[in-house]
Amino acid sequence: MARVLSLYVETNTFVQRLDPMVKLLYILVAVLISFIILPFRWVGAAFIVLSCLALLYARVFARVVPLLGFSFLILVSIVIIQGLFMPGNKTPAISIFGLTFYKEGLLYALTLCIRVLDVLLAFALLVLTTRPSDLIQSLVKRGLSPRFGYVLSSALQVIPQMMSQVDSIMDAQRSRGLETEGSLWVRLKAFLPLIGPVVMSSLLETRERAMALEVRGFSASGKKTFLYERESSTLDRVLQWALIVVLILSVVLRFVLV
Amino acid sequence: MNLIEVNNVSFAYTEGVPVLKNVTFSLNNGSVAIIGQNGSGKTTLVKLLKALLKPTSGDILINGINTKETTAAKLARTVGLVFQNPNDQIFKNKVLDEVMFGPLNIGQSMEEARENAINALETVSLVDKKEENPYDLSLSERKLVSIASILSMDTDIVILDEPTIAQDYLGKAKIRSIVHELVRRGKLVITITHDMDFVGECFQRVIVLSEGQLLLDGPAREVFSKEDVLRTANLEPPYVTQLSKTMGYQGVLLSVEEFVVYYHSSVENLERRS
Amino acid sequence: MKAVVVENLKYRYPSTERLALSGVSFEVEQGEFIGIIGKNLAGKSTLCEALVGLVPHFYKGAYGGRVVVDGVEVLSSSVSELARHIGIVFQNPFTQITAAKLTVYEEVAFGLENLGFQREEMVKRIDYALKLLGLYAYKDRNPFELSGGQMQRLAIASIIAMKPSIIVLDEPTSQLDPLGSEEVFRAVQSLSKEGITIIMVEQKMEKIAQYADKIILMNEGHLVDFGAPEEVFSRPDLESYGVEPPVFTTIAKSLGIKDNKTGLYPVTLEQVRRLMIGESHRS
Repeated sequence: MARVLSLYVETNTFVQRLDPMVKLLYILVAVLISFIILPFRWVGAAFIVLSCLALLYARVFARVVPLLGFSFLILVSIVIIQGLFMPGNKTPAISIFGLTFYKEGLLYALTLCIRVLDVLLAFALLVLTTRPSDLIQSLVKRGLSPRFGYVLSSALQVIPQMMSQVDSIMDAQRSRGLETEGSLWVRLKAFLPLIGPVVMSSLLETRERAMALEVRGFSASGKKTFLYERESSTLDRVLQWALIVVLILSVVLRFVLV
Repeated sequence: MNLIEVNNVSFAYTEGVPVLKNVTFSLNNGSVAIIGQNGSGKTTLVKLLKALLKPTSGDILINGINTKETTAAKLARTVGLVFQNPNDQIFKNKVLDEVMFGPLNIGQSMEEARENAINALETVSLVDKKEENPYDLSLSERKLVSIASILSMDTDIVILDEPTIAQDYLGKAKIRSIVHELVRRGKLVITITHDMDFVGECFQRVIVLSEGQLLLDGPAREVFSKEDVLRTANLEPPYVTQLSKTMGYQGVLLSVEEFVVYYHSSVENLERRS
Repeated sequence: MKAVVVENLKYRYPSTERLALSGVSFEVEQGEFIGIIGKNLAGKSTLCEALVGLVPHFYKGAYGGRVVVDGVEVLSSSVSELARHIGIVFQNPFTQITAAKLTVYEEVAFGLENLGFQREEMVKRIDYALKLLGLYAYKDRNPFELSGGQMQRLAIASIIAMKPSIIVLDEPTSQLDPLGSEEVFRAVQSLSKEGITIIMVEQKMEKIAQYADKIILMNEGHLVDFGAPEEVFSRPDLESYGVEPPVFTTIAKSLGIKDNKTGLYPVTLEQVRRLMIGESHRS
């Protein structure tokens, strides 16, 4: 079974079909505005709502839930620490089990939580709705070195392959009497016999693959083309300009408000 | 007591998708080839024999010990398994150290391990390369190193997974002589292979697997006589057998020598008759 | 124009002392099927790499003599340029997958993208290559999900899409099961029928004897012989080069069954059968 390091979910809505660059621009705009330009909680909250709507529309929201669950631990600890111990705490808000939470700390914790969720959801939108290869291809088209692009995209498939090779190596070494289970010392001793073959055979494979790539024109000097040359759709362009306009407006708003 | 006893063994990696179905056989000294197309369950079967996997149902007894009650590492004294890809095991910088790794693991002293390793390297004709880095050798030589690293453990049972892959004529001849030598020393040699000519020349007994079931089990000559059954498992008899069949010869011929003897006797018969 | 011209080719890998190729010369006509045989380390793979330009461009090292492929001189060209004229398929199907593409279809496109083909042309060539190799039904699969035989056919398709007039195959079936090998042999035959020049290294002598028009016998970097399979396999000194003839030839040699017109031994099941029937009629 082929495995790819990717969280992409193929549900084929317009969110999936968007130019990956638009989604990258969205992350940039969301972070810039809610962190620096207009650092108000309601702005951050607005972006969270926007991201959630897009994720829901793209039918990938279910995949975000585990991510949220994981970050929940961090968020709770932020609330507890800031609510109880922030230096500027003055106004008591609520008491639970004899512990007093302060209003200042809770509000600051809220700001932090909003920012964490803001970044998390904006990235989730990119990662869950974009094929890694599409993202890399659009970066290559915009000047990323094709060699670096290749390294990125092949790593997504080669790393899982290497992990499954570890299983066969483990079998081979256990067959020669190597104990791989037991005390820490036993496990440490087993490390080299397990990792050695992985490293050596990936070096061998890399050389073989390098030759296979060369004979398929990898180093050709002319201009590269792309099988799926995606034309920017009107929607892509509209959204791209809309995001830029929002960015400019927020800067203007900043000066008006100050 | 049989050296290996496989009783009604079934195995599945994921529930409901059996890879082996109710397989039963027993083995003692001698040479056995396990043949069958990819996906027929050959590799799974030898992993079960080596206790790398445990049967979903049924039992496997190695020298009377149930594999469910032991580990692959503990079985290393009795069962040696050479994997198909030598790159999955080689990690030392010197051929000799690599071949000594197994013997040292199973508790041999330094001197003992060294002596056994040198003997094993002599068997595969690589003793003059014992100081080299295994990764400076060719793939076929590395395969011989991996065979030596099991032979050096001097186990009663030796299992070879596709030993002839990437070997040329000389390499194959070497592997044939290793199999004969092990059998002469009273070992049990089990080989998974796709190379039917190698099977015909080298193995006394043949087990045919097809879609997880034991399709045929018997002396090589008997198994290769059942061409129709073999065909259902997508297998063909050795070339010599095919030729003798097209010539309309009686019986199953497995090697060039057998063919030549048969030919001469049939010519004599013809001449006597005419 | 000859498909391949090799003149007095000498080559030594960097930081080695032995010549991997030493004074090799031969010529191949357009559309021929050439088999290369010899023991391991005889120089077969090096010769293949020299035809496609990996020797010397990828390895560097010391190079002498001349290789001209499809009218292009290898030394003064580059591996990428040569890819339009000559392609190569290696032993290990797994390492020929780029790993950068998620479907069989995109995998075949890789070489065409690098060479800068337009989309319409790419689609035409990918469809042609996938259909010729019998892989069109798998076009949306992940390449790593294919069986060994299918993966090797994908490697061939990826080369064929670049439309080279010559294809080199370096032991393409050595790591496959019988079913996979048979798939690849059938695929190679269909390429041969399309008029593509084929140069194939192979250890399965029965197969190469059946398919090749001519055979090159290599030993220690030298070209020992270049001729029809019957000629090369009839050599009495064959085993001294670490090569065993097809089992049919071995049988014919020990029975003294020869083709009386040519004085050569048979190399395929069909040939030996015909000659043996002739013998028994005479006796």
